[in-house]
Amino acid sequence: MEMVAAPAGSGAPREEEGPGGEAAAALPQAPTSGPGARLSRLPLARVKALVKADPDVMLAEQEAIFILEQAAELFVETIARDAYCCAQQGKRKTLQRRDLDDAIEAVDEFAFLEGTLD
Amino acid sequence: MASSSGNDDDLTIPRAAINKMIKETLPNVRVANDARELVVNCCTEFIHLVSSEANEICNKSEKKTISPEHVIQALESLGFGSYISEVKEVLQECKTVALKRRKASSRLENLGIPEEELLRQQQELFAKARQQQAELAQQEWLQMQQAAQQAQLAAASASATNQAGSSQDEEDDDDI
Repeated sequence: MEMVAAPAGSGAPREEEGPGGEAAAALPQAPTSGPGARLSRLPLARVKALVKADPDVMLAEQEAIFILEQAAELFVETIARDAYCCAQQGKRKTLQRRDLDDAIEAVDEFAFLEGTLD
Repeated sequence: MASSSGNDDDLTIPRAAINKMIKETLPNVRVANDARELVVNCCTEFIHLVSSEANEICNKSEKKTISPEHVIQALESLGFGSYISEVKEVLQECKTVALKRRKASSRLENLGIPEEELLRQQQELFAKARQQQAELAQQEWLQMQQAAQQAQLAAASASATNQAGSSQDEEDDDDI
C-alpha cells in the first residue's frame, strides 16, 4: 500500500493534516512503499480519518498513523483471543458477544470499552 | 450502521478488514455476527483512545505533529505497553526498507550521467535504429526490384530463343 510516497532522499517525516489544515492526499490500501512493504491489515486511510475526526488533532506523521494501525491490529488479535478463551471456558465453540463482554470485564486495559454499544 | 451518513463520528474500521483479521487470528472458529460487530466498534474505540492520548502527549511536548514516539508513549500510559516492542520492530523494518530504497535511488542518480544526457543518448540510439531499419528496408526493396528485373530479362531472352527456334514466322509472339 502506498501511503503518500516520500520523495527519495528526503528525511523529513510526512505529515497528515487534521481538519484544521488542508486536505492531505489520499492513502491507498496496501503499502508497497511508504512505511515498509509490509501489508497493513487495516486500511491506513480509515485509521487516518478516525484520527482526524478528533477536532483537537491537527497534524500526525505518516509513521505515527502506521504505528497506530499496527497497535490496532494487535488489539484486535488480543481481544479476539481473550474472548475465545472465555468461550472455551463456557465450553462453546462459537464466539459470542458475551465472550467479548467477559473479556472486556476481565482485562484492566479494556475498561475503556465498557459500555461500547453496537 | 451510519457509515454512509458522511458524519465523521460514525466512521469505523471496515467490517471486512476486521472479519479477515478474526479469521486469521482464530482460524476454524465460528464467530457470531453481533460479536464481530462489537469487535469493529472496539477497534474504532481503541484508535480514538490511543490517538487522543497521543495528541495530549504531543501537546505537552510542544510539538505540533503527533510522532510515532507520541503514539508509543500513549500505548504505554494506557496499559498497552506489551504492544510496544512488536510495534517498534515493524517500524524499524519500515525504516530499513525506506532507507534501502532511498539508497538504491541515489545510487542510480550517482552513475555520473545526468538524466538529460541519458535521455539525449537514448533519443540518439532510437534515431540510429530507425535509420538502420529504413536502410535495411530500402536494401531489401532494391534487391527485390533487381531480382524482378532479372526474372524479366530471363523470361524475355528465353522467349526470344523460342522464337528463333520456331519456323512459324507469321506468328509473332507477343509475349514479353
